[in-house]
Amino acid sequence: MIKTTKLLKVTAATMVCAFASIASAEDYADYPSQSLNFTIAFGPGGGNDTMVRSLVEVIRKYELYPEDIIIRNREGGSGAIGWSYVNQQAGNPYHITSTSGNFIGTPLVSNTDWNYESFTPVGLLANDALVIAVAADSEFSTLEDFVNEAKNRRVTIGGIGAAGPDRVVAGLLQDSAGITLEYVPQQDGGQLLTSLTSGSVDAVLGGPSEVAGQVDAGNFRILAYSENTRSNIYPEIPTFVEQGYDVVFSLPRGVMLPADVPEHTQQWWIDTLQTVIQTPEWQEGYLQRNGLSGNPIWGEEFADYLDDTNSKFESTLREIGAIR
Amino acid sequence: MIADIFSNLALGFSVAVSPANILFLLIGSVVGMIVGLFPGFGPAAGIAILIPMTFGMDPTSAIIMLAGIYYGAMYGGTITSILINTPGESATVASTLDGYPLAKQGRAGPALVMQAVASFVGGTTGVILICGLIPYLASFAASFGPTEYFLIIVFGLLLLTTVMGENKINGIVSALIGFAIAMVGVDIISGMQRFTFGSPELIGGIYFVPIAIGLFGMGELMYCIYQGQHRLDPEPMRIGFRSKNFWPTKKDFTDSKYTFVRGSIIGFVAGLLPGSGGTIGSIMGYSVEKKVAKDDSKFGKGDMRGLVAPECANNAASSGSMVPLLSLGIPGSGSTAVLLGAFMMWGLRPGPMMIVEEPEFIWGLIASMYLGNMALILMSIIAIPFFVKFLDVPYRFVVPIIVMLCVVGSYTLHGSIIETWIFLIAGLLGFGMKLYGYSPAALVLALVLGSMAENTLLQSLIMSDGSLLIFFQRPLSAIMTSVLILLIVGPYIGRKIRRRVSATTETRNA
Repeated sequence: MIKTTKLLKVTAATMVCAFASIASAEDYADYPSQSLNFTIAFGPGGGNDTMVRSLVEVIRKYELYPEDIIIRNREGGSGAIGWSYVNQQAGNPYHITSTSGNFIGTPLVSNTDWNYESFTPVGLLANDALVIAVAADSEFSTLEDFVNEAKNRRVTIGGIGAAGPDRVVAGLLQDSAGITLEYVPQQDGGQLLTSLTSGSVDAVLGGPSEVAGQVDAGNFRILAYSENTRSNIYPEIPTFVEQGYDVVFSLPRGVMLPADVPEHTQQWWIDTLQTVIQTPEWQEGYLQRNGLSGNPIWGEEFADYLDDTNSKFESTLREIGAIR
Repeated sequence: MIADIFSNLALGFSVAVSPANILFLLIGSVVGMIVGLFPGFGPAAGIAILIPMTFGMDPTSAIIMLAGIYYGAMYGGTITSILINTPGESATVASTLDGYPLAKQGRAGPALVMQAVASFVGGTTGVILICGLIPYLASFAASFGPTEYFLIIVFGLLLLTTVMGENKINGIVSALIGFAIAMVGVDIISGMQRFTFGSPELIGGIYFVPIAIGLFGMGELMYCIYQGQHRLDPEPMRIGFRSKNFWPTKKDFTDSKYTFVRGSIIGFVAGLLPGSGGTIGSIMGYSVEKKVAKDDSKFGKGDMRGLVAPECANNAASSGSMVPLLSLGIPGSGSTAVLLGAFMMWGLRPGPMMIVEEPEFIWGLIASMYLGNMALILMSIIAIPFFVKFLDVPYRFVVPIIVMLCVVGSYTLHGSIIETWIFLIAGLLGFGMKLYGYSPAALVLALVLGSMAENTLLQSLIMSDGSLLIFFQRPLSAIMTSVLILLIVGPYIGRKIRRRVSATTETRNA
């Protein structure tokens, strides 16, 4: 027994020493001096993935980050896995992640060990609105056609995730048009596309970047855009609002560090990203190509914005019965 | 169509023929051959272990290397089948039937050269057939919705019975364990968590790669030790280029010229069907060859055709199973399932749109398979004497190296210690399964196909408002459902008719 106590004491002492050495390394005065782990909480090919890969490409091209950047897709649980992983890296500024609608939505609908407040906000880089798309050879040439058809028969609409932003937009459209849509959750962007190319669903909800390729190929037609005003990239696409439906929703595309990182590392990223968003590669190569509006806000302002989006999201999800 | 094939291949070669890609292709092929040499240490584990080493590489180079391991293993796997009657992996089991007797007759040299030639013919035929079929399958694949995916997965699940081995009950139990593991994680339809016990590590489900490394790599290793293989000192072999008996005779080639064709086509078709692959292909190739042979008395006693047929087949199958993988995103075997994981890790989504969205990648890979097969036949012939020496290393020295590679591999995959534990548990499970005649292959395939089956079934049912008629309403589904029903019901009806016919003849005779 005595021996055990002694052993425990030694162990405790060793652990204290170990923690002390970690703590002393935590001021990160020479930041950044190690490779960076960029976690994407979704699989390849989606909107989050596209943003991070474009961002990192710009950073690499202009040599803004002196060390390696390792991009890793940690998909699953509508972002729960990836963000939970980053959340566990609290205090370590060599981990970074990107946000999207699920960043707000997933903690609301499932029992995660984090929510949007568990991270250090860096900045909101773009607003990613959603579009509703149908097959180019379908009978729907306007949103009006689609809504009228939904009054006559059972209409199916695909979107990613069970209770993500796509579900919220579907819910908003149902409420404002007084119709019922049969929502078919898809696993990822690829599955979303094939559900429409194969004629399995009547329409899909997705980011412009997700359907852009198919629209360019002449396979899909976009019926409406979920921001207040028309996109300057696709000026020909009418908004929901101007067609008489009160559907305004966009995903916050931003960048977050784990909680409790030193303030100068947060500021380092704000400064760096302010450089990134001014490059032509970002403006034309990312924003324009993916049809996003860039209205960047930084630090605490971004945190307030997330608060606001969270309350909107929560009330919508409550309305459609996704949370009680 | 043919012009398309050539322009696609030109694109592919322009990608594949870069010094770096050729280097990685050679590395992959050599590693593949070595991996194939180790009994029970197949390409699935080889690829899985090398995946972490490809971090930081260009995705195309990485996949060219990993694919090289995949088909390179088919070349290497036969060497042990012929020399010591121990198949390197399941797809080369059929090659022992005539390969080993040939070696015992002192014809090990010709047998090894012949298997390299047969592997080359099979592999290259497979690649040529891919070029012809993939463009066609790509537009076909865009018409695949959740309903069709579900049906093709059911088809794959039916073919699981062919990988189960002799004891079907054990095979079904193995598959059910796979389904059970697939249940863990978030249900994508409702967003509810299942069997995660609050662990965030389990929200995304249990990844099949640590399971596969555990079941195949670790399980097989423990089984070999259990059998006492580490205590055996291998007998040294002596074979060289100058030996009189190294090269096959002219008669060996003329005898088996049609065998090359038959074996390759059977293997390719078997490879196309998910769940079938090289094992079934090689067994089918062998049995068909024996049936069509005028004089089958020498089969099983050292007939060259009995070696050529399964060898052409298993290599053609490894090319063939690239078709569902690349054009549908459906893995046809344990190895292609691991490759699928690698694709996704590299930001590629194997599926209907990949050939449209990533033509450089696809055609680069296919072109590299041409080159890979050429490199492999040369290397095989040069390396045969050396590979034989490699087998002289006692097993007890090999085991610790493999264990270390497996542990490191399973941890590096996602940097998750939980996955390392999953791998170790899967290793114990794999040993038990091997010991009591269960099928690790069925478990892994069920794990991969199970969650896909569940999601696509539920999506289909939401689309149809819960009506199963959806599987008949869409034209493509209707055809697939009919084929499935025929496949399930057919044998019973056939048996009944046969019984009735024999019954009537019996009564007549009486």
